[in-house]
Formats: sequence, C-alpha cells, structure tokens
Amino acid sequence: MIALLIMGFGIVALIQIPALVQKQWWRELIVFMVLWSAGFILSIMISTGITLPPITMIINKYIIGIFEL
Amino acid sequence: MFLEQGKISNLQLSVLITGFVLGSSVIIPPGQGAGHDAWIAVALGLMEGLLIAWIFTALARQFEYKTIIEINSLVYGKILGKCISVLFIWYLFHLGALVLDNYARFFKLEIYPNTPKTVLFLLLMLVCASTVGRGIEVLARCSVILVPLTILLIPVDTLLLIPHIDLNDLMPILDVPSEKLLWASQGAASFPFAETVAFLMVLAFIDKPEKGPSAVSRGLLIAGFFLIMAVARNAAVLGPMAVITNYPSYLMAQVIDIGDILTRFEVVVGITLITMGFIKISILFYGTVLGLAQVFNLSSYRPIILPVGILMVILALTNVGNTLELFEFAYKSYPIYAVPFQIGIPLVTLIVAKLRRLPQTGGDQV
Repeated sequence: MIALLIMGFGIVALIQIPALVQKQWWRELIVFMVLWSAGFILSIMISTGITLPPITMIINKYIIGIFEL
Repeated sequence: MFLEQGKISNLQLSVLITGFVLGSSVIIPPGQGAGHDAWIAVALGLMEGLLIAWIFTALARQFEYKTIIEINSLVYGKILGKCISVLFIWYLFHLGALVLDNYARFFKLEIYPNTPKTVLFLLLMLVCASTVGRGIEVLARCSVILVPLTILLIPVDTLLLIPHIDLNDLMPILDVPSEKLLWASQGAASFPFAETVAFLMVLAFIDKPEKGPSAVSRGLLIAGFFLIMAVARNAAVLGPMAVITNYPSYLMAQVIDIGDILTRFEVVVGITLITMGFIKISILFYGTVLGLAQVFNLSSYRPIILPVGILMVILALTNVGNTLELFEFAYKSYPIYAVPFQIGIPLVTLIVAKLRRLPQTGGDQV
C-alpha cells in the first residue's frame, strides 16, 4: 500500500514540478510542495493505521455542547 | 487578477445553480425533521435561501462581480481580508469533502458494497479534478447536458409512482410543532439553498453581470420547485418510512414496477444522482483551488488541483466515523455551523463595504 502511495505521489510530483520549474513559477512551486507534502504525510499516516482526528465530529461535538442540542 | 479566462452565460449559471442545489439533496432530502411536513420546511428554506442569495449577489454587484477573495482584501485590508478568505475557503473545502463522503457512502451502501470507499473517492475526485482543470466553462457546459436529465427524471419518477402515492400520508398539513418546522426549514435553507454562497467564486465569470442576480434566483427557484416535488412525493409514497430511511429517493425508485417490464429503475436514479454530485463537488473544488490561488497570488490554480484533491479525499476519508454520525452532523449541527459562512461573511462584508463607501471610484480601489 505504501509503495503504491509513493508511486502515486511520485507521478503527481513528476507531472507538476518540472513544468513549474521550467516556467519559473516559484511561488506556485512552494504552494504545490506544501500541499503535496501535507497530502503525502497524511496518506502515509492513514495507510500505516494511524487514526487522524475526525474533524467534522469534533465540530459536531462542540456545536452540540455549546448550543445544548 | 484573472486566473480564469472562461466566461459562462446566465443560463449556464442558472443550470449550474440548479444542479448544485439538487446535488446531494437528491440523496439526503432536506427538511427531514419536519416529518410529513418536510415539503413545507423545504419551501420555507427556499425563501430563506433566496434572501441569502439576494445578500451575496448584492455584495458581488457592489464590487462589480469580483470573487469573495478579492472583495475581502478590498474591504478588510490585506491581512484580515486573507484570514477571512481562508475561513471561507475552508468552508468550501470542508463542504466538498462532506459531499464526497455522502456520495461514496451512498454508492458503497447501495450499489458497490464490495468496492473500497477509497476507490470510490479517488474515481469521483479524478473526474472532478479533470473538469476543474479545464475551467468553469467546461463545467457549465457539462451541467447544461446533465442537469436537465435529472430535472426530467423527478417528474417521470413521480408519474411512475402514482399507483403508490397516498396523499393521506401528507395529512394533516402543519401538524408538526412550529419550533420543529422552523428548525427543519433552517436545516433546508443551510443545506442546500444557502450553500450557493459558493457561487461567490463563480459570479465573477458570467458574461452579462447585470443579469446575475436574476439568474441565481431562477436557478434556486427551479431547484426548489423540483426539490419540493421530490420531498412531497417521498412522504406520499413511503409514509412514515420516509423519515427513517437513509436514502428515500433511491428506495422509492426500487418500488417502481410497471407490469414487470419497467423495474430496477433505481440504477437510472443512481446515475443521475452521481452526475449531480459531480457538479456540486466540482463547484466546491473549483472555489477552493481558485480561492487558494488568489490568496497566495498564484498565476494559475491548475498546479494545486491534484494536491488539493488528495487533501479533500483525505478529509472525506477521516472526517466522520459512520453514516449515522454524518446524518447527525447534517441535521443537528450543520444548520448552525454553516451560518457564519453562508450569512455571516457576506452580510458583514456588505455592511462594512456600505459603511466604508467601498468600492471607491477613481482611487486605487477596484
């Protein structure tokens, strides 16, 4: 699974990065790298069985608590 | 800043809005809390939705149809404006993940029980990413083909279900306590009508801006009409079951049986449902990437489509535990959670702009 993920993310990077470097779009490259890295790290965490916090449920809990629904 | 070169007509905008509103509400019908009076809750929700649409179109008109990101920078200044824009983008991103989750759950439960949810997420996201990459014009053209099919299907479904319709299931009218009805109507307004606030990222690209507000209202009214029809039909066919069923529109299509010839109609319904989901997710996805590109002053939003799509899939995968939790959020918390984004940001921005007499003509503004 992890090998598949590395391959998938590698393909995305191979498609995008050379084109951005060629155009000298450095700002786009930085934003892309930040988002891409976040996606890669989170995907690896999920695939290794690490449970990420369920954001919607956290919001749900707070709203129900605050408004006493 | 012109990150998008395409232009859409007012008719395309109306159709996009109709498809967006029908979006996931054809899977999870709004107004559930009002029982057999759900159709009244939807009608009230439509009125509130029209009012909210009037607010955000007034804001867009005030700033000559710029996107909300550009408007925020003009009204609040660069730093605060960007902070508010990030909140708005979060809403689009989160809503996109929720709709994606709705669809993947629906398909997993009803059509592809053995397919992993991740595969469904990725396939749907790839189609949306491909469309978003081609711009708003392509999405608008797709909607002109796909939305009429769904709109046509609702009355056809209703006609085929006439033998099963029992109007007594809709009686007595206004039987639900007013408190419950109002809560259900707020739910119907926030999901789906007021979600059209996402079009603050799209209104900038219409070719006849002066007719933008009427195009938005027209789209909402058409979607509202068919949604009311679908919700009333669900209650009249399924009776009390309509409230406890997860996906009443789909369940009802399974009931259709015309002389043992026209059966298994639910697959047709399933196909139209996914097309509406595609439109809604694509609009939210488009708003997210365009918004991020404007916040970070990028030359194009296209390089960030794939990473943002991956992050949306990750959020959809992890944000809720089970379907019941998703429904609890949709019916209990969402009507409150959505208020700051759907009403708060546009209304406060409009008031501040009026107080500051923005946009200033002749200066460096606009």
